[in-house]
Formats: sequence, C-alpha cells, structure tokens
Amino acid sequence: MDSANLEQLQTRLRIKYEWSRALRAFIGFAPVTAVVALAALVGKRPESALFFGTLMFTSGVLLLWYGRDLRRAVLPGLIAGLLPLTLALCANSFGHVCLDGSCTTLCLPACTAGGLFSGLAISWVGHRGRYGLGFWLSASSIALLTGAMGCSCIGYSGVVGLALGYGAGVVPALGVRRLLRGR
Amino acid sequence: MEKGSALSLDSLMARLAEGDRSSFTQVFEQLWPVVFRLCRAILKHEADASDAAQQAMEKIFVRASDYDASKKAIPWALAIASWECRTILRKRGRRREVPEGDAEVALTPGSDDDHAQQELVVAALEALGTLSATDREALIATFWEEAASVSGPTLRKRRERALDRLRIAFRRPYGLS
Repeated sequence: MDSANLEQLQTRLRIKYEWSRALRAFIGFAPVTAVVALAALVGKRPESALFFGTLMFTSGVLLLWYGRDLRRAVLPGLIAGLLPLTLALCANSFGHVCLDGSCTTLCLPACTAGGLFSGLAISWVGHRGRYGLGFWLSASSIALLTGAMGCSCIGYSGVVGLALGYGAGVVPALGVRRLLRGR
Repeated sequence: MEKGSALSLDSLMARLAEGDRSSFTQVFEQLWPVVFRLCRAILKHEADASDAAQQAMEKIFVRASDYDASKKAIPWALAIASWECRTILRKRGRRREVPEGDAEVALTPGSDDDHAQQELVVAALEALGTLSATDREALIATFWEEAASVSGPTLRKRRERALDRLRIAFRRPYGLS
C-alpha cells in the first residue's frame, strides 16, 4: 500500500474509532435515562426535570466519548448528584412544614444540604485521585445537573440553593488543593 | 519487533483506550506493518493480505477502547488479524466450490496442495480461536516472535500447555482425541 492509501486508511480508522467511542458512550450512559424518567414522573415540574436531565445526559455522553480525566468524572458526578436529587424528591413528596403559623417547603433546605454533601463527596474523590481541574469541573457539572432535576421543584431558587450548598462543599476543598500544590 | 517498541506500543494503546488521540498515528504506524506481515504470511496473496489487514485494523481501532492495559497489545492485535485471515480463507474455500464449468480453472497444477494447505491453516486458526486468551497470547508470541507478557520458563511452560490444548482442539473435530 502506498502512503496516500495509508493516509486514507488512517482517516477511515480515525472516523471508526470516534464513532465506536461515541456509540459506547451513548450505550454506556443510556441507563441514566431511567433516572431522568423517574425524576420527571415523581417531581412536580417534569419539564424542568426533562430539561436538566437532557443536559446532564448529553454532557455525560460527551465526557465519556472524550475520555481521559473527564470520563472518570462522570460516575462520581452522577452518584454525588443522586444525593440532592433523592433528598429533593423526598422533600417534594413530604410537602411542607408548618411552625408557629408559617409554612415552608422542605425542598430548599433539602437541596442545599444535598448540594453540600455532594460537593464534599466530589472533593473527597478528587483529592484521593489527585485529578486535575477538568475532573472537578466535569464532576461538578454532572452532579449539579443531576441534582437540579429534583431541585427545580420550587423554581430556580431550589437550583440556586443546590449550587450554593455544592459550592460550600467543594470550594474549601479546592482551596486546600491549591495550597497543597503550592507547597 | 524489538522489545522496546513493543513496550511503547502497549502504553500507546493504553493511552488510546483512555481517549488520548495524540497516540493514534503512532499506534497505526507501529501496528500496520506487523498486522500486514502476519496476513501476508497466512494468506500468501498480496491483495487478500491487504484486505484482511485493513479489516483487522478497523476492528482493532473500533475495539481500541476495550483494550485491557494489563495485556500485551501485539498478541491482542494479531489475534484479531488472524481471525480476519481465517474469514478470508473460508471465503476463498467457498469460492473454490465452483460450478462444473469452472472446475478446470480450480484444478490447476498445485492447487490441490494449496487448497489442502489453506484448509489446514483455517483449521489451525479455528482451533486457536477455541483457546483461552492466555494460551493464544503464548502461541502467537512464540510463532510470530512477538513479545509476550511473560518470558523465560513461565513462557515455555505456558507454551507447552497451550500447544497441548491446541492439539486437542485440532483433533477434536476429526474424532481423534
């Protein structure tokens, strides 16, 4: 085979390689659609759950297709995101609490607490694996999008609560990481 | 292939499996000559060997993400290539079963020997396919002089056991075991 044919073959192989990675990523992440469907069925705002779920699924597939550190972030991100999602869905079905004549929904505290634990979990995994910034960003986006499926129960304030809780869990850990790297 | 380049191919393959696209060209450049050489040795026909090698390379790159970094890349790739050669030899065998009018073409001098040789190669490759990955690696490393994941007495012992199992697998279809 001459060099021109070998180059053509290489191009063809590159396309096949990318397609196979994309297909594997899609099939590998497909079971997550069950979580999205569950969140849409159980949650109060199915359209928001579907919106965040679609974003989360697309991001997950893209990260798995890309590979390297970003691929490793998908599973921890998803597991960490399931915590605020579960808490928010439970709080949603529980309704609201009335104390001294005033009633409040449990969704916001559930999302904030879930976000905090989620952030701490990602920090722990990130520190243990000594991953780079790509891992932290990817895991955070997957965790936040997964949690947001449930936390949109009281509108975007739930999502903001989740993000604040998550930030409170992950930002100090990032600071510690930077300090340790500086030494 | 030299030991050093085999080792670097393993790490390049592992990186490609992880999604590191920068190792793609190097993996291709190291694998293509080895795969093509094996196909040419089995098929003894330049065009068929080129087809088989291209098919094999496609399968290798499609399965690159499944590559197990604890295994050697060359035996893994050659096992895929030998399977492609087996498919082509089978197709060739079927083409030989030609209608009566074309029988003269098939019965040219020496074709019986070639045919018998090819059937033996197909049978050997099929028997090889029934063995475990470790056995296949040991045999491929021995007969195509590629680096295996083990060496010395361990490789010798593995090779002996693999050969015994290959003999049994080879005889089984003919009721000789």
